Amino acid sequence: MINEEYRGAQQWSRNKQAVFTVVWISFLSAAIATMVFFAIFDPVELGAIFDAELELTHDTGYAAGFFFFWVLCAICSSVTAFLVRTAPKRDAKRRRR
Amino acid sequence: MNEPQAASMYESAKKIYPREIGGRFDKLSKLATVTLLGLFYFLPWLLWDERQAILFDLPARKFYLLGLTLWPQDFPYLALLLIIAALSLFFFTALAGRLWCGFACPQTVWTEAFIWMEQLTEGTRSQRMKLDKAPWSLTKFRKKASKQFLWITFSMWTGFTFIGYFTPVRELGADIFAFNIGGWTLFWGLFYGFATYGNAGYMREQVCKYMCPYARFQSAMFDKDTLIISYDEKRGEPRGSRKRSVDHKAAGLGDCIDCQLCVQVCPTGIDIREGLQYECIACAACIDACDSIMDKMNYPRGLVRYTTEHSLQSKTTHVVRPRMLVYATLLLILVGGLVTAMASRTPVILDVIRDRNSLYRELPDDLVENIYTLKIINQSNDARSFTLSVSGLEGLLLDGIDGEVHVDGGGVLSLPVRLRARRDDASGVNEILFGIEATDDASVVMEEDSRFIGPTP
Repeated sequence: MINEEYRGAQQWSRNKQAVFTVVWISFLSAAIATMVFFAIFDPVELGAIFDAELELTHDTGYAAGFFFFWVLCAICSSVTAFLVRTAPKRDAKRRRR
Repeated sequence: MNEPQAASMYESAKKIYPREIGGRFDKLSKLATVTLLGLFYFLPWLLWDERQAILFDLPARKFYLLGLTLWPQDFPYLALLLIIAALSLFFFTALAGRLWCGFACPQTVWTEAFIWMEQLTEGTRSQRMKLDKAPWSLTKFRKKASKQFLWITFSMWTGFTFIGYFTPVRELGADIFAFNIGGWTLFWGLFYGFATYGNAGYMREQVCKYMCPYARFQSAMFDKDTLIISYDEKRGEPRGSRKRSVDHKAAGLGDCIDCQLCVQVCPTGIDIREGLQYECIACAACIDACDSIMDKMNYPRGLVRYTTEHSLQSKTTHVVRPRMLVYATLLLILVGGLVTAMASRTPVILDVIRDRNSLYRELPDDLVENIYTLKIINQSNDARSFTLSVSGLEGLLLDGIDGEVHVDGGGVLSLPVRLRARRDDASGVNEILFGIEATDDASVVMEEDSRFIGPTP
């Protein structure tokens, strides 16, 4: 029946859930971080501090900053997800309590 | 991630084929889709004073919003605006459930548009299901190819529009036809286009189910007076099919004829009759579906309807309740704060930077000199002149400027300034105050403190 076709059928595997959630949530966090960070710092001025020779454009600066935050947030999210998912399970006796 | 029982990550979810249904809420949802997408695609083309009305000019670090020009220093306004947006979401969720999800979320709106294109090329729900099961043929290829053509063109246009908010869109259009667009511009356009294609074309309800934080925590804003879409179990059960001529009440049946239409139209593939589920995005398609059946059966509408838990339990629904008052008060305070802050925003900024190289310089005639750089940012769109003043120390003398300073509209002026004072008046560290005032408008003033350092006696 049509109903059977639907119910519980459309499920992502746990790994797929984890990967997409980590990618998406770290993307959102990185977008916020980029906004706040570059509202305070101008990437061109920042580049000049590290290396006077560096001719950084705004576009490249913003993009580099965004990807830096995205990778950082993704590492943070995925380690969290990994630890939560692989934590030792409470044994059956305690769970029954 | 060693999960022996977990299946391969590429296992595809069973595809949902939402059935199209007309009706009141379908009209409302189409209206919302057309309005919101229309705004998104149209706004970059809107002009204001011969420049793009809405432009986030990242290289110049200026945001143009209609007549307003916002600078990085105005970031707190944006933060406040985002907090207000979040709080409004809470307010409307507590009041009327997931209105946002069903009618305004970009994920829903773009998915609607993509499903519409799918229907245009592949036909109705049953035709689409048959087409997917059928072996590859010329017809299938033609249908799939035209769907992809529509999807990809629409996605590319979406990506183009998105970068149009950050790069002047008219020049961008000309550049694209001349194959002359910058690397990053192209990258972000394709990035956004591809994200639209993937999210609205393929991931659809999976985004709401697995990736959206709001979908998970929205239930925290719910109470028994929140508007929800619900099946009236008391009225509908026991469900069962029957002939139209049968008096179902005499036959011991409820109003639900178990036609499954509400399940077929659901974009997230749930059965509303099983109660409130977090997958439900409150798009109200099932209400339209059920109403159409009730009309055919000559039963009263509203077996599936907007209602509240209290109303389902035959109790009174309270619109005004402590939760609503708290949200509303906070919202009013924040909106009031934002409006006041924006209204009293001075369109000039003064920064004072003391010379890092020397604390002070001793001059002949018992004078001491300190050096500063003043940064004057004229946030208005017109050129302005300012008079400069300094106070806080007896006999302070301003050197390096004669009379007024002139700053272009939207310009930044870096002004080296030398201050002199008598040695006896200026021993040690002294707090001083720089001030500027626009010559054309005495209300445009800004002060900034700094220090004047002299030799310790």
